[in-house]
Amino acid sequence: MKITGSHTFAVPRSIVWEAILDPEVLSRTLPGCEDMAPVGENQFRGKLKMKVGPVQGVFEGGVELLDLDPPNGYSLKMDGKGAPGFVNGTGSLRLEDADDGGTLLHYDIDARVGGRIAAVGQRLLDSSAKVLTRQGLQGLEAQLETRAASAAATETPATSQTAFAGRFAAGLARELWPYFAGGALVVLAIIAISLRACS
Amino acid sequence: MAGVLGTSIKRREDPALITGRGKYTDDLKVEGMAHAAIVRSPYAHARIRGIDASAAEALPGVLAVLTARDVAAAGIPGVVPVGWLLPDLKTPAHPMIAADTVRHVGDAVAVVVAEDRYIARDAADRVAVDYEPLDAVADVVAALEERAPAVHDEAPGNVAFDWEIGDREAVDAAFAQAASTVELDLRNNRLIPHAIEPRAVLASYDSSTGEMTIHMTSQNPHVHRLLMTLASLGMPEHKVRIVAPEVGGGVGSKIHHYADEAIVGLCSMKLDRPVKWTATRTETNLTDAHGRDHSTHCALALDADGRITGLKVETAAAMGAYLSTFAPAVPTYLYGTLMSGQYDIPAIHCHVIGVFTHTAPVDAYRGAGRPEATFVVERLMHLAGEATGLGPIEVRKRNFVPADAFPYQTQVALAYDSGNYGPAMDRALEMIGYDDVRGEQASRRSNGGRQIGIGFSSYIEACGLAPSAVVGSLGAQAGQWESADVRVHPTASVTVYTGSSSHGQGHETTFSQIVADRLGIAPEAVEVIHGDTDLVQFGMGTYGSRSAAVGGSAIARSVDKIIEKGKKIAAHLLEASAEDIEYEDGNFRVAGSPDRALGLGDVALQAYLAHNYPDDLEPGLSATSFYDPSNFTYPFGTHVCVVEVDTETGGIELLRYAAVDDVGNVINPMIVDGQLHGGLAQGIGQALWENAVYDDSGQLVTGSLMDYALPKIHNLIQFELDRTTTPCPHNPLGVKGVGEAGAIASPPAVVNAVVDALAPFGVTHIDMPLTPEKVWRAVNA
Repeated sequence: MKITGSHTFAVPRSIVWEAILDPEVLSRTLPGCEDMAPVGENQFRGKLKMKVGPVQGVFEGGVELLDLDPPNGYSLKMDGKGAPGFVNGTGSLRLEDADDGGTLLHYDIDARVGGRIAAVGQRLLDSSAKVLTRQGLQGLEAQLETRAASAAATETPATSQTAFAGRFAAGLARELWPYFAGGALVVLAIIAISLRACS
Repeated sequence: MAGVLGTSIKRREDPALITGRGKYTDDLKVEGMAHAAIVRSPYAHARIRGIDASAAEALPGVLAVLTARDVAAAGIPGVVPVGWLLPDLKTPAHPMIAADTVRHVGDAVAVVVAEDRYIARDAADRVAVDYEPLDAVADVVAALEERAPAVHDEAPGNVAFDWEIGDREAVDAAFAQAASTVELDLRNNRLIPHAIEPRAVLASYDSSTGEMTIHMTSQNPHVHRLLMTLASLGMPEHKVRIVAPEVGGGVGSKIHHYADEAIVGLCSMKLDRPVKWTATRTETNLTDAHGRDHSTHCALALDADGRITGLKVETAAAMGAYLSTFAPAVPTYLYGTLMSGQYDIPAIHCHVIGVFTHTAPVDAYRGAGRPEATFVVERLMHLAGEATGLGPIEVRKRNFVPADAFPYQTQVALAYDSGNYGPAMDRALEMIGYDDVRGEQASRRSNGGRQIGIGFSSYIEACGLAPSAVVGSLGAQAGQWESADVRVHPTASVTVYTGSSSHGQGHETTFSQIVADRLGIAPEAVEVIHGDTDLVQFGMGTYGSRSAAVGGSAIARSVDKIIEKGKKIAAHLLEASAEDIEYEDGNFRVAGSPDRALGLGDVALQAYLAHNYPDDLEPGLSATSFYDPSNFTYPFGTHVCVVEVDTETGGIELLRYAAVDDVGNVINPMIVDGQLHGGLAQGIGQALWENAVYDDSGQLVTGSLMDYALPKIHNLIQFELDRTTTPCPHNPLGVKGVGEAGAIASPPAVVNAVVDALAPFGVTHIDMPLTPEKVWRAVNA
């Protein structure tokens, strides 16, 4: 299954970059995520517990971010397996400056699912994943703009953009958990959709 | 009783079934019953590095987790065998539980037994299997490519068998001299059977007696007992009883011996208590043997008069990951032998390669080989009608085996015993109002809008599986007869023990009609027992449209033996010679002396009292027969389908469907019509909607009824049915079989109709299922 698209954020690239790189964001943005922890440089492993309707299961898996090229993007590898089946994904995220100071995010994920989640409802996965990705990105965009606006109002103009980004990411981790920020999360979102399809 | 044969008596099975009192396997509850859940591979191909069951075993209520190691430790054969052999067939082992390699998604790797089915399922989710994924191949053509991943080391190139029938040289010569030829590349789509009741088993082992009773969803309990004891559990056959209670449909899927039923048997032996397992719908989709899945190149050669001079067929037939019970027979004995269709074809050659793929096994499914053959022949006949300019009717009529040419020896082993093809087609044309439909088609073509198409299918089938003399001559090491034990009780009521095990066909009704007609008693006085290996002597079961022709004939033979015995008893009682006794309407009479007569009841009672019998007469009034038919039966007919195609959207609407079938003598017209309706729904389903899809990594993506499109009642129309009657000359009832006719005839009728509608767009073929997308693309190509 391919999930490909782009999205424009009205905030600078460095802010988006920090957000899609922060392990705490990665962990806290995933509903049902347990024990997500770094296991190496840019590698994270954890458990994802899902309960959707009558179907529940635990996926154990990891995400590895590769070829980091700040603040332009990275590649990623993701795998997870559990009773409902397995999911493997590879992909890339690319950031570029958009007009008027915003950021354009390109995502390109190739995911393979197997077992029960593939057998049941796979034809729903493609379109549902796209819808959920779009909703997640739109939600994130709204929050990014709100945060950027309030940060700009309270901070002195001298504050560096990087420092702002760091604080911003921490805030995001605390408050913006329902929104998916990047490709790895999109891949894991597929599992959630699959489980919903199983029910 | 006169007039009982050929009458639409209501099915005696139905009151229990339609009021919810039918007892299916999953309805059965016995003391101490535990529940099994099977752990299945999520990979199409992987090595098993290890299995950690500790988390499952730790769950309260879990009784055991068994793996391949336990099968080995039990010292049992532990395999799932193939039942039919071909020359040079590769038969790699199919372990009950995969030991080191899994070969399709759904392959069993472990089983959990627990106090209830919910705990069992939860625990199955906790069994951690460490897989090393390997490359897989799911497509039948891709599996034959040079670098394709190997399914079995024992089968190089993934070839299970390489089989041919007919005369290749004669066919090549025919093509070299042909006035015209037509050819076609086609895929016959893979189907999932979808019996309404999923497979289920309740195995009850008792270590104090060493006996095991297995209730299961079976179309052939004796065959299941044989394979289960011989190859899987290694138990003595006389210690195993298999019972098929009510069985909710099978359409072939419950013929085969599966790993799951054997696994549950092992669980019961290991725990010494009853264990039940019922498949979920997704499990049936992953593990029931699928149907069809052919890739075929075929061509027809014709002379200047439009007479067929040669037919050649090259087919790659998917076998799946393991050879299922009857799998090798389906695309060979039941496919290549059918290639002559209703036509006099002087040269035929059919070459079939059986191919292993990383998918569920493929085996017999309603029609089994004959729908695939009919599709080849009838699609080519449509193209021949176009190429010769003769049209679909004339090209068929010109090539029909003439009515005076029977018995007719085909070039592909089968000898048709009887037939009369022209009248069935004429009747179908009359029913459909052919000229009017063509007129409407012409007006639509000139005015635009939705196009109309008319499609024909003049099919033949070989039923009454399978005369040992015929299949033996082809290399099969088995034949399929049927048995019947008919017992007349002292009060003249009758119990029939038949090896034809019903799974919804209405055997109890039709078989009682056969006995009632022959014995001159009321059908209500006849009880029919089936589906229990402890009650019934032996039986081959119900499939291949064989129950009436073979099972019914066995019953008729036993009744005839009883009448002969009754004549001897009557002769003794009436002090006459047995040769002078006639039997009619339930009475034994001395010929020429109508007053000297005894009713069946008088004779039956004396048969059991037997206090003054002569020495050469045994007491009792019962008879057993094992009937091995001398030939297949050959039902035939012509189906005509009219469709409307929306060339803007690719949508297809069925407008008319007329079927004229010749199934020989009819025992119960209502049941025959019901079989035709069901078969037509399945065949039209294959043509328009159904498709089992694996992705290129071997994941089944049609694992539920959300993804696999079965026909619904609102998708179908009122079928218009009629019959001609050409009795089978070689069985005592003159019946031929009807269970599969609808599924065999209808796919090419529908596809020919759609292609006919789209002729102005240059469309000559679309592979099934004819989804709107495919139709739209063909129109816009």
